[in-house]
Amino acid sequence: MTQATNRSAPRRDASDVVVETRNLSKVYRDFWGRSKKTALKPLDLDVRRGEIFGLLGPNGAGKTTTLKLLLGLIFPTSGEALVFGRAATDVSKNERIGYLPEESYLYKFLDAEETLDFYGRLFGLDPEERRQRAATLIEMVGLTRDRKRQLREYSKGMTRRIGVAQALINDPELVILDEPTSGLDPIGTREMKDLIIDLKARGKTVIMCSHLLADVEDVCDRIAVLHQGELKELGRVEDLLRVTGVTQIRATGLSPAAAAEVKAVLQRHGAGDIDIGNPRTTLEDLFLEVVRDTEARPGRRARRTETAAQRAE
Amino acid sequence: MVLEQEIPRFASWIGPAVLQYLTAAAVATVVAAMLTWLAQAIGNGPLAGGDRVYRGVLAGLADILATSPRRVWALARLAIQESLRRNVLVVLAMFALILLFAGWFLDPASVDPRRLYVGFILAATNLLVCLVTLVLAVFSLPADIKSRAIQTVTTKPVHTGEIVLGRILGFATVGTCLLAIMGLAGWAFVVRSVSHGHVLEAADVFDVTNGEGAVSGAEGRTSLDRGRRHRVELDGRGGGVAETAHGHRHRGTVTGTTAAGERTYAVGAPLGLLEARRPLRGKLRFLDREGRPSIKGISVGAEWSYRQYIEGGSAAAAIWTFEGVSPERFPEGLPLEMIVRVFRTYQGNIEDGIHGTIQVRNPTSSLRSESLPIVAREHSIDSLLIPRRINTVMADGSLREVDLFADLASDGRIEVWLQCLEPAQYYGVAQADFYLRAGDGSFAVNYAKSCLGIWYSMLICTALGVMFSTFLSGPVALVAAIATLLVGQFRDFIARLFTSQVTGDSSIVPGGGPIESLYRIVTQTSITLELDPTPAVQVMKVLDTVLLAPMRLAASIFPSLASLGTSDFVAGGFDIPGDLLAAHGAEAAGYALACFIAGVFCLKARELAS
Ligand SMILES: Nc1ncnc2c1ncn2[C@@H]1O[C@H](COP(=O)(O)OP(=O)(O)OP(=O)(O)O)[C@@H](O)[C@H]1O
Ligand SMILES: [Mg+2]
Repeated sequence: MTQATNRSAPRRDASDVVVETRNLSKVYRDFWGRSKKTALKPLDLDVRRGEIFGLLGPNGAGKTTTLKLLLGLIFPTSGEALVFGRAATDVSKNERIGYLPEESYLYKFLDAEETLDFYGRLFGLDPEERRQRAATLIEMVGLTRDRKRQLREYSKGMTRRIGVAQALINDPELVILDEPTSGLDPIGTREMKDLIIDLKARGKTVIMCSHLLADVEDVCDRIAVLHQGELKELGRVEDLLRVTGVTQIRATGLSPAAAAEVKAVLQRHGAGDIDIGNPRTTLEDLFLEVVRDTEARPGRRARRTETAAQRAE
Repeated sequence: MVLEQEIPRFASWIGPAVLQYLTAAAVATVVAAMLTWLAQAIGNGPLAGGDRVYRGVLAGLADILATSPRRVWALARLAIQESLRRNVLVVLAMFALILLFAGWFLDPASVDPRRLYVGFILAATNLLVCLVTLVLAVFSLPADIKSRAIQTVTTKPVHTGEIVLGRILGFATVGTCLLAIMGLAGWAFVVRSVSHGHVLEAADVFDVTNGEGAVSGAEGRTSLDRGRRHRVELDGRGGGVAETAHGHRHRGTVTGTTAAGERTYAVGAPLGLLEARRPLRGKLRFLDREGRPSIKGISVGAEWSYRQYIEGGSAAAAIWTFEGVSPERFPEGLPLEMIVRVFRTYQGNIEDGIHGTIQVRNPTSSLRSESLPIVAREHSIDSLLIPRRINTVMADGSLREVDLFADLASDGRIEVWLQCLEPAQYYGVAQADFYLRAGDGSFAVNYAKSCLGIWYSMLICTALGVMFSTFLSGPVALVAAIATLLVGQFRDFIARLFTSQVTGDSSIVPGGGPIESLYRIVTQTSITLELDPTPAVQVMKVLDTVLLAPMRLAASIFPSLASLGTSDFVAGGFDIPGDLLAAHGAEAAGYALACFIAGVFCLKARELAS
């Protein structure tokens, strides 16, 4: 792909949009067609080529539902999802997608090599390529020693790792990861984050969802915050975490007297060597605020509508 | 063996069959589309519902057309791996156990050991193979959906059709391998079980003298081996045949003389036991006791109407017309083989059999041969070689020798007349009971052909199982598949029952439909008794018809595995006709295709992740 240049100078080109949802909503129904649960309220999203997009939200917020809709695993109640400009139910889009499900849903009776070989076959890879990619990926996720063991014997983290490997078997342009770090040890988590950043560096688009805020904060370019199926926040991570209307002053070697003086001076006019900027909250604060806010005043969209304005600069 | 219907030539069968298939498919499609539309229309309104159905049909067809052999094979491999990891090979151990038990419990000294062994082993093979593939097929997809492994597959560029076809192909492959192994083992077991030899000791053989006191041959009996022994007649030159017993005979020969002056004998391998006769069958018609043509013989009421009876000591005759008879095909004369049932109105001497005659007639000039005597005994196939040079009866009653093919056949057609000589005794025959033995196939090949028939059943079971598993959970799908096969088993009965119900002709199936039957059971009314047409009875009959109509429809499209079975041919020692095998193959392919398409639509309509 030739989007390397595009990434440095983001263009709002239609071909640049990898995933697009229009009014996408989902109501789960039971066997008789009675609605059981509104999992996603009408959602509009764009994900652009080469970015790492995070879906954030508490348990049951509708993150997995959104991803499944993008993959055509479930059918929307209304609206549509387009991936690479094609309907989400179009099978051929899957050629360019890698998906890591919430839990690795794999065949327990296969071993790691057979698993990758099987999924490789589904992409029509020829035997030599299958072998090579399988070896590389198994090496990458650190399962070389366990590659001949059946998955039923794998621990949770090992299953997760082979799940990641199968998601990358086709060298996908779009990688969809549902809670990529769940079940991984700290080293595994670190490796996973490095991998995601590496994917971005190779020009891939990544959509991931998580409720592990540190993960999202570390890797995502943009995030959407969902709560009870509703979009609460959408924007660049830096923008979302910037607190407007507050000024932070930071200085070194300042005596209390001097500080008081600075304060006095600042009250009159500005001076050099004083760090004035926008302090950052942590994502955790933002997250909790969104959840609390919604609980207090249900049904209201974004807390700070100006973030949207900022984003549209 | 019983052949209720003539086996049609494949070339003439396939056309109407395909037409019927397409009609059924079209009706089923329309019904399915209507039902789906109704379901959709309730939720989305008639227009949007129609639109959804239309799009669904298009998407399904596009999906099927996009099927890639590579991915199908990948999924088939997965199904095979799954079967192996589920220890499907245990079935082979079970089969070995069955053989072991068969070896212990089946009696090689029974009247017809071939029928016993072949019938049992083929039935066991059939049941095991079909059941295993059905169970594998039925539980696989639901397990995947439950474990959500299917989600990882459907998010790859995999079409629904490939998932369904891959499953069918994979489990059918497993079934094929199992069948191949069981077929070979079963065949070896049958051959080993029925083949045997006998010993003929000089002490058991006595010279036979003719009227002038000269030694004309010898007579004796073989040793008792595996519960069998044969009476032997040897001619003056030391060759001879052990008489047919237990459905076979042996060839006996004098091999030499010992120092003590005693003859030594050898008894050959059993003949007529592992054979596959290729019959040339004719068309049967009857003459009644006055010698007038009649459509039917007499029903003696003792058996079901498969065989018709002709009365002895009258002009009644059963006449077969054979076609395609030529000296090139039968250089030795006509090798006629016949099964003649006997119905006695008085006991007579049971050992003796009932006497009758066979005549050969020219169907156009009605020139006829002299009467050749036969003796009909129960449960045996008699053979009679009608020689090339044969005497004909002239108008004045004198005899003249003529050529069988030149004078008694015209255009390759020849008539064989059967008449019973003993008054008040009856011969019972069916069309398939008289045939010319046009050749012999190999028993091994015939056994393999029967296994091919089992393969067809296995394919249907697999496809049916996969189809049901696309929208039902494993156990429910298993029950549904078995129910379908059971209904299929009774499809002919249901069809006749429906006809009987609609036409009101209770002679076809007495007793009426389900409600009437229930009424008869409760009131203990005999099924042969006509019910008074009171209004209540009328209502009952109408309700029965309403109940039977959908059953009749279902019966016309459900598969009947029994009708695919060919083990009767092998067990009876007849070669399985290629036309029959081809027709069964086409039927199996038709069912597999229908199941595949239905499965694709059902699976595609499902949200696999919810
Ligand atoms: N198959 C289903 N049938 C009915 N309701 C469902 C189904 N799947 C999900 N839901 C409901 O939809 C809502 C959203 O679920 P979803 O799995 O998208 O949440 P999530 O954001 O991924 O949560 P988590 O962080 O726990 O994974 C939940 O209330 C859930 O109960
Ligand atoms: Mg989730």
